[in-house]
Amino acid sequence: MNAIQTFKLVKKFDGLVAVNGVDLEIKEGELFSLLGPNGAGKTTTIRMLCCLLKPTSGTASILGYDIAKQPFKVKKLIGVSPQDTVLSEHLNCWENLALIGKIHGLSSNEVNRRSKELLETMGLMERSKDQVRKFSGGMKRRLSIAMSLVHDPELLFLDEPTLGLDPQARRTIWEYIAQLKGKKTILLTTHYMEEADSLSDRVGIINEGKVVALGTSQELKTTTFEMRSMVVSAENLTAEVMEDLRNKYSRVEEVNGELKISHKNLDFKEIVDYLHSRGVTVYSAVLEQPTLEAVFIQITGKKLRD
Amino acid sequence: MKFWEIGKRNLKEIYRNRVVLGFLLGMPLAFMLVFCSAFAGGEASPIFTSIVDEDHSQSSSAFIQYLGTINAIKLNEWIYSEESQAQKDLEDNRISFYLLIPSGFEEAKQAKQTTNLELVYKAADPMIGLQVKPIIEAVGSEFLGVAPPLVVELKGTESKIKNEPVNFFAPGIAVFGLMILIATGASMIAGDREKGFLARMLTTPAKPWDFILGYSLPFIPVLIISTLIYLGVGMAMGLTIVGNLGYAFLIFFLIGLCSIGIAMIVGTLLKSESQAPICWVFIVPMAMISGVWFSVEGMPSTVRNVAGALPFIHAIDASRAVINGSSLSAVMPDLYWLVGWAAVLFAAGIMLFRRTMVS
Repeated sequence: MNAIQTFKLVKKFDGLVAVNGVDLEIKEGELFSLLGPNGAGKTTTIRMLCCLLKPTSGTASILGYDIAKQPFKVKKLIGVSPQDTVLSEHLNCWENLALIGKIHGLSSNEVNRRSKELLETMGLMERSKDQVRKFSGGMKRRLSIAMSLVHDPELLFLDEPTLGLDPQARRTIWEYIAQLKGKKTILLTTHYMEEADSLSDRVGIINEGKVVALGTSQELKTTTFEMRSMVVSAENLTAEVMEDLRNKYSRVEEVNGELKISHKNLDFKEIVDYLHSRGVTVYSAVLEQPTLEAVFIQITGKKLRD
Repeated sequence: MKFWEIGKRNLKEIYRNRVVLGFLLGMPLAFMLVFCSAFAGGEASPIFTSIVDEDHSQSSSAFIQYLGTINAIKLNEWIYSEESQAQKDLEDNRISFYLLIPSGFEEAKQAKQTTNLELVYKAADPMIGLQVKPIIEAVGSEFLGVAPPLVVELKGTESKIKNEPVNFFAPGIAVFGLMILIATGASMIAGDREKGFLARMLTTPAKPWDFILGYSLPFIPVLIISTLIYLGVGMAMGLTIVGNLGYAFLIFFLIGLCSIGIAMIVGTLLKSESQAPICWVFIVPMAMISGVWFSVEGMPSTVRNVAGALPFIHAIDASRAVINGSSLSAVMPDLYWLVGWAAVLFAAGIMLFRRTMVS
């Protein structure tokens, strides 16, 4: 059974189509990242899956339960860390965690045990008895994630879990999410390509309400770019050698004193051997890896923050 | 000119928020409309007037008939022949005052002499006597053919009340004070919605009644403590509890529950905390027509019917009555009204909240 399955999910707001026929299948235990520029429909999709928004048409099921017909069954199984870090500001960490835990039916002992674990993992134990209004953005974000986990949900929605955090705080949260991989099904939305690249089992790119690319990070990189490139730092490159290379490969250019060769099914060894055979001294040769960001820009025509 | 830029921004914030603008402009409008329709215009309701005829004469009967032709008053068809019966009905809240025509009225008429009429009102409700006195004086003088002033004596019922105005105003002010819970409760829900905290809570399996009861709960101790303050401070300032303090507490508690129920409905409908002052557009006119500051006797019947359909007037009337010595059974219809309203308001709050859980 899929943890999340959507069927032509559509949401319109006063004529504006925010989500336009999204079909997704996310397996149990999978970490799936939904990427898209601002206003692409990521949060609207998550809000529908969390039963906060009613789809205009289409539907979705969460672990077999229909989001429109069985919302309370769905809500029992999910944990949500919303994009805005909303906490009960005058409560301390324990009280915020107990609020969510007890609504989900946990006993006081269970809540305490889970809270202790989470507060330690998130590095919040020292300040756990302070009212959260005094916390920094990073601490609030960590507590928000802890609140989505306190009841040990089967499915976790993390909407921009590291938005606005400094690199160190971001890394702490990535490490924690990495620990959850395989144990929980996670649907993550993010602006940080490295985050999606390193954490996700699969990535979906959403643009203007539609899923425009779907696959593992590697699949997206290989299918998006037809040509691969290698960058060679070398000496004794004659005009003759350059002419030969240009005849043989699709694109040969000199960038910052280095040679960049691009071609479909590029053979690394073949090029290095050829250069050696022509008396060229090769100092380094690196096969260029396309980034997920490059994939994203190629597919959507936009940068993530557009 | 930095102040000008800040001022412009704030002005835009106000006039682009329709609810806030509606409150700022709607409040004076609602205030004046209700005030004027309650107290101005020629369509004031006739005042229900009971008569005790101790003279049993042709003249007294003719005077009663004459009174019946006056538009400003509506005669109780039942004419008391003994004052003791009227006194009992006054105590049991069946009538609010009576006019006593003393024996010797006919003789005075024949001799064209002045005579003393008595207007007997409940000690706790002195306003009504003041309202009726000039009418009786004018009508009586005309009937007897004597030049005014005809002596109409105002006489409160004998009671243990030490300070009549305090006993009149304190229950009304307490009910008005509890109506403030409407604005406070509504702004709590609206604030959580605006900040997104409510959306987070809506991803949990909590049901609509969990939210409505959960948001009502913190106001219960507030309600209990504020009721104790109203009663305690009132007593310290001269409020005399002739009747049962517990009954008064029960009535205040019930109207407090109704206010919380209204708060839940309003809070469910509001989008942001800044819209919460809109509650005052409702609170102040309701207080006005429910008799918080003025007696509702004499207000146009439409206004009284509106007030009578809502719970506040019942709480004010019943709490005044029990504080001044009425039994619980005398105010039972008011209590039923309050319990009914509380139940309806909470049920409506839950139903509305359910509808707003998914947008």
